Parts: sequence; structure tokens; C-alpha cells
Amino acid sequence: MATPEAVAEKRELAGINADYKEKFGFHDPESGYAYKAPKGLSREVVESISEYKDEPQWMRDFRLKALEHFESRPTPNWGGNLGQIDFEDIHYFVRASDKNSRDWSEVPDDIKNTFDRLGIPEAERKFLSGVGAQYESEVVYHQVNEKLEAQGVIFTDMDTALREHEDLVRQYWATVIPPNDNKLAALNSAVWSGGSFVYVPAGVKVEMPLQAYFRINTENMGQFERTLIIAEEGSDVHYIEGCTAPVYSTDSLHSAVVEIVAKPSSRVRYTTVQNWSQNVYNLVTKRAVAEEKATMEWVDCNLGSKLTMKYPSIYLLGPEAHGEILSIAFAGEGQHQDAGGKIIHAAPRTSSSIFSKSISKDGGRSTYRGLLEVADGASESRSKVVCDALLLDEDSRSDTYPTIRIGENDADVGHEATVSKIGDEQIFYLQSHGLDEEEASKMIVNGFIEPVTKELPMEYAVELNRLIELQMEGSIG
Amino acid sequence: MAELATLPPLPDEKAKGWEFTDLSELDLDAYEPAPADASLGAAEGATVLSLAEAVDSHPALVADRLGALAPSDDPFVARNEAAWRDGVLVHVPAGVKVAEPIRIELPLDTEGAAVAWRTLVVLEEGAEAEVWEHSSSTGDETDALLNSVVELHVGQAATLRYVSTQDISERAWIFSSQRARVEHDGRLDWTALGFGSGRGKVRMDTRLAGPGSEARVTGGYAGGPGQHLDFDTTQVHSAPNTFSDLSFRGVLAAGATAVWRGMIRVDPGAQGTDAFQESRNLLLSPDAHADAIPGLEIEADDVRCTHAAAIAQVDREQLFYLTSRGLDPAAAKQLIIEGFLEALVERLAEGPVREEISAALERRLREIL
Repeated sequence: MATPEAVAEKRELAGINADYKEKFGFHDPESGYAYKAPKGLSREVVESISEYKDEPQWMRDFRLKALEHFESRPTPNWGGNLGQIDFEDIHYFVRASDKNSRDWSEVPDDIKNTFDRLGIPEAERKFLSGVGAQYESEVVYHQVNEKLEAQGVIFTDMDTALREHEDLVRQYWATVIPPNDNKLAALNSAVWSGGSFVYVPAGVKVEMPLQAYFRINTENMGQFERTLIIAEEGSDVHYIEGCTAPVYSTDSLHSAVVEIVAKPSSRVRYTTVQNWSQNVYNLVTKRAVAEEKATMEWVDCNLGSKLTMKYPSIYLLGPEAHGEILSIAFAGEGQHQDAGGKIIHAAPRTSSSIFSKSISKDGGRSTYRGLLEVADGASESRSKVVCDALLLDEDSRSDTYPTIRIGENDADVGHEATVSKIGDEQIFYLQSHGLDEEEASKMIVNGFIEPVTKELPMEYAVELNRLIELQMEGSIG
Repeated sequence: MAELATLPPLPDEKAKGWEFTDLSELDLDAYEPAPADASLGAAEGATVLSLAEAVDSHPALVADRLGALAPSDDPFVARNEAAWRDGVLVHVPAGVKVAEPIRIELPLDTEGAAVAWRTLVVLEEGAEAEVWEHSSSTGDETDALLNSVVELHVGQAATLRYVSTQDISERAWIFSSQRARVEHDGRLDWTALGFGSGRGKVRMDTRLAGPGSEARVTGGYAGGPGQHLDFDTTQVHSAPNTFSDLSFRGVLAAGATAVWRGMIRVDPGAQGTDAFQESRNLLLSPDAHADAIPGLEIEADDVRCTHAAAIAQVDREQLFYLTSRGLDPAAAKQLIIEGFLEALVERLAEGPVREEISAALERRLREIL
């Protein structure tokens, strides 16, 4: 017997489900685009992107060099199936409006409509912080509140940063993820557009999380944003990236590069709630370096996309640096979440932890793939890796591929992983307290991921729980 | 047997599964094929024969089982298939319980020898037996190569205890592919010790093929200077209500490296699987290196699959405690290491196996400490 509250909640959840298509699955007319590169990738396309953006020569050379790396490397044959991506059938650059708007009133109406449906103004009201919203390939709306500017914090889209803070950008550009790191990072390096640039001066603590919303809106259009975060000594910043994409009929590619430099004693947290529509290939390279006594945290939630391959990594380069990766993956029908994390201890007395929670349902496949390495000389380092997976039906699949490499005896490293289904006795217990089986299952799943959701800002935690409950609808048979 | 010309090439460091074991210094042509001077042992109730002889005397049995488990696409299995002359067949008929252990001794003492060895164990329905296989060299100076393929067929409701101890020369190469298949309600209790060899790879694969089958796999290794020990284990559950429990523990002294790769695979439909694997390494020196790559691939939902891996040094608090009780640091350290390995010994049923394994571990510890 369902409680009235549960019924109401169920109706509310069903309501969320019902207008998903209307809310997120729309297309804006494409006629208003200022510039759209032809499909396919070539030297000419890369040069025209660079020319269009009026970039300095070094960036143009960087792009062209990266293109060579991309062309000379084979498509990865591990992880998920990338065989269906036709790199020639993608627009590598689309620009939605000619100018970046700092003021809300200058944002074009149809773009505003999109943001309204995404609820961005609401989020802005809540956070009163900078909102960088990526619509198409470029950030068109950007607002940094006065307090941030007064603190000397730079929070802008990457194209603007390249124009206005070229020296700073150039100093750190591709120092964490070189263009030849992997095929997809090379692709991003060649055709990148948009993304965020964050610079936090020494000693500055940014109180509110910095948020950016990302969207892909043109059929067959890739999104290749590039984010660089520099946290100077003793600073503190939390960056949040959340994505919602419209539903499309053909496959779409998202391939971002995110680089983070955490200087001594700084603290950087990067949170992602990824909910791409289920035709998107989400192939992202994220890496951070943490210097002495710095703390780097990745909170990575993967709910959407057709295939995600993403392994946020942390190089602990300075003594007593600390790294943490919290990861949630939910793979439903037709989805493969190949996620995880890498931590490399390269200095003494460094510590780290990885907590991964994955859920597979309706034939979905979730994979944890990780690396934990303690390099020679990283004495007295400690690490703990815990991976838990829930399988909700017999058609689904869960894989765990952790790799642990230890080159130092003075290290203490542990790894544990468990794969199971929801326990009958857990369901029975909750049923005996009046919940029906579906409610009990939702509760158990939300409890299962709670160690990660409790690290999210409340709005995101609520949204995540709802999204997962949505995915759980009708799952119990 | 495959023709030499068609053998698959040796894996390079990019080949899957070979990333951590460098074969660039392996020159197969430098080793001369040599006979294995093995002693096969005997026990009442079991047929124990040279495998070459068994090919003639038990043609049907051998034809059905030989090569049925070992994958010939593995480059070393393929070479073994092409080259083996010596081996053993252990056959226990249905319902026969063999009381005495069957002991097989395989020496590797000829400089430059390449020994291709083959073990085939077949337990028919309800049979019980214990097979010990020990490969060893008299010293650690012999440069030789051992390529062995072991196939263990555990029939319905049969029980096999298989103990494989390896203490060959620390300059020798070892390539060993060991596979077991356990049928309906069968039980396998498998213990492996790896002390010798310079480099190579030992694969230990268990397939729980019949409903209700069980396997326990216990592995211990201890490496000294210049040794690279490589274990690759797989537990495949392809039938419902199957159980597997694998535990590996290794102690690595200065200059030793080890890699353990383990996979639990649960096939669709293998509901009610209970699988566990753990790998624990104790590093005794900053110059020791260990890699652990546990893995899970699960395609059924009513399962309980867990793995754990840990790599650590001798615990300083334990050391402090013991020295505060008057032990000198060396003795305290030895006690802690013995305690670490004792957890492996405790997995074994009481009796001669347990005592011999325990003694072998103690001897080996004295060598590397």
C-alpha cells in the first residue's frame, strides 16, 4: 500500500518524465547561426576556425599540430565501441551569435528561451555567482558578479580569455593535457571552441560554486569545449558543470578537455552532472595537477549519453597533496558508462581516495576503469579505492577494471569492489514498513549513491536523485 | 600439432595482458628442446601414465580432453602444442577415491634447455584425488625455459585437490597455462606456490561449468632480486549457483617485481554466483614493485562478486609493538611477514598439504630475507 506522499511524489516524478521531450528535446531554428563550418575535418576547417576567431599565431600552430596528432592516431579500440563515429560527418564549429553578452538583456531571445527551459535564471538566482552558459559552440552569456571581479577572480569563456588574458592562458595552455595525449584530446586541441577559463589569485576563497551549463543544439554538431582552471597558492574554488542536451536522431560527439592546476595549499573541486541525450558520444579528457599540500577533488556523475569514456585524473606532484574522485554512473537501456578515475602519486606523503558507485539497468553496461599508481619516491603515500556496483536485472552488465601499480614499499594502498543486486532482505524490510517494491528499490538505490550525492550542492543532489528515480520507474518486476 | 611456421607471434608490451611483462629479451631460439626428466608417481586407484604413452593406450580419453581447455591462440600454448613430448595423464575412474597423493616431480636443471611439459588430469564422476606437481631446479644459476600446459577436468561431483609448487632457477623463464573445468557439483581446491623463475607468466584459469560447482584457489609467491613474477588468474562462472574464492598473497624483497591480474567473469544466466578474489602484496623494500589488476565482468544480476587488492609494507605499528616486547627488529619483521602468509596457509585443510606448504613458505622467506 503506497503512502499518499509516495503517490504524490510518484505523480510529480511522472510529471518530470512526461515533459522531458518538450523541456529538453526541442530544436531552435538553425537559420540564425552566424557561422557554421562545413562537415568534416581538414586543415582548412581548422584554419578557418582560428581565422574566424582571430587567434594569435601560436594558437593556430597549436591547432594544426594537434590535427596532425589526431590524424596519425588510431581510434581507441578499448573501452566502448567507437566504431560508429564518423568523424567526417560532424560540424566542428558552429557559432550561435556574434557577440558575447555580459548583460542578460543582450542575450538573443531564442537563446533566452532555451535557458528558461533549462532553468538557468533560477540557478543564477540561487547562486548569485558567475554563470557561463555554453549555447552551441560558444559561451554567449556570461556574468561574473562584482564580488568575484573585486577579488581578482577571472571567470570567463575560453575564447575571451585568450583575447583578454593571452599571457596567462598561454602560460598554462596544454601543460596538463598535451595535444598528443590521446586521439580525442588531439581532436579537441585542433577544433576547440568555448569552455571556461577560471583564474583564482593566491589566497582567494571563492564562496559560491562557479557554474557553467553546456548544450549541444545542432544536429550532428560536436561540442569541443576547453576548460582551464588555475588555482593559485592557498586559493579555494568549486566549479560545477552540468549538461542537458536535446534529443537528436543521429549520433553526436562531445569531446572536452579540462585542465586544472592546483598550486600549493589550494583546493579545487570540479563537479560534473552529465546528462547528455542518449545518442551522444561523451569522450572527455580531464586531468588535474596538485602541488604541495593542495587538494583536488573530482565529483563526476554520469547519467546520460550513449557512451561515456571519461577518467578524471589527478597527478599528486607535491608532498602532502591530496586527491579525491567520487564517481556515479547510471547505465540504462542502450547506454555504456565507461567511467572511473586515475590517481598518480608522484611525491611523498600524498594521499588519495576513489569512491565509485555504478548502477546498471535494462541491458545497460557500466564499467569502472581506473588506475592508481604510486611512483618511485612517493614514500608514505596512502590510497583507498572502493567500487560498488548494483545490477538491477539480469540483462545488464557491470565491469570493474582497476589497475594498481606500486613502486614504493612505503605505501599503503587498498582496493575493494563489490557487484551485487539489491538484497531481497533489504526489500523485504522496507516492504514490511509499508513501502511497495518500487519505492523500496528507489530508496535503496538512492541510499547506495548517497556517499557521493551528499558531496553535491543540494540542488544538484535533489536533481540527481530525481533523475535516478525517473530512470528507475517501472524497473521492478 | 601446429606447424612451427604458423605459430602466433610472441606478444609485445602492447598486447593485452602482456603490458607488465617484458619479453624483449626472450630469445626462444637460444634454448634447445630437451626431454623432461620427470618422475610421475603413482597411487592406487588412479591411472598415472606418461602422456605420450596415453595417446596410444587411451586414445579416446586423450583425444576428448587434451587441448580441450587450453586455448591454442595463446602464443605459448601454441608452442607447447607444437613441441611437447613429455607429460602426464592422471585419470581417476568414476566413483574411485584415491587416498594417497599423486606426486609429479619435474626438474629443470639442464643449461639452455627448453622443456615443453603437459599435464592432463581427468576425474570422472564422483572421483576424488590429490595431485601434487613440483617443478624445481637444484640451483639458481640455470638458464632454461619451462613451457607447461596443465588441464584439469573435474567431473560431476568429483573432488580434486591440485597443488602446484614451482621453485625453478631464478634465471629461468616460465610460461605456464593452467586451466580447470569443474562440472556439476564438482569441487576444486587449487594451491599454487611461485618462488622461482626470472621472468614469464603463469595463467591459472578456472571455469565453473556445471551448476553447484565450487573452486578455491590459493596462491603464494615470494620474489627476490631480479625476479619478475607474473600471475594471471580467471574465474569464469558459466552456470548457476557456483562459488569461487581466490586468494593470492605475495612477499617481495628488494629488486623483485610482481604483477597479478585477476578476472571474475559471470556469464549471462549464471544466477546465484558467489565469487571472491583478493590479492595482497607485502613490499619489503623501496626497490620492490607490485602491480595488481583485479577485474570484474558481470552479466548476471543475482550475484555477489567482490574483489580486494592491497599493497603495503610491514606495518610500523605492529613492528613497534613487537620490538617493545623485546624482539629484535629483524625477528619482529619476520614474524609479521609469516603472519601475513599464514592467512594463506589457514585456507588449506589441515593435513600434510598444509604442513608442507607452510614449511615451503618458511624456507623461501629465509632465502629472500
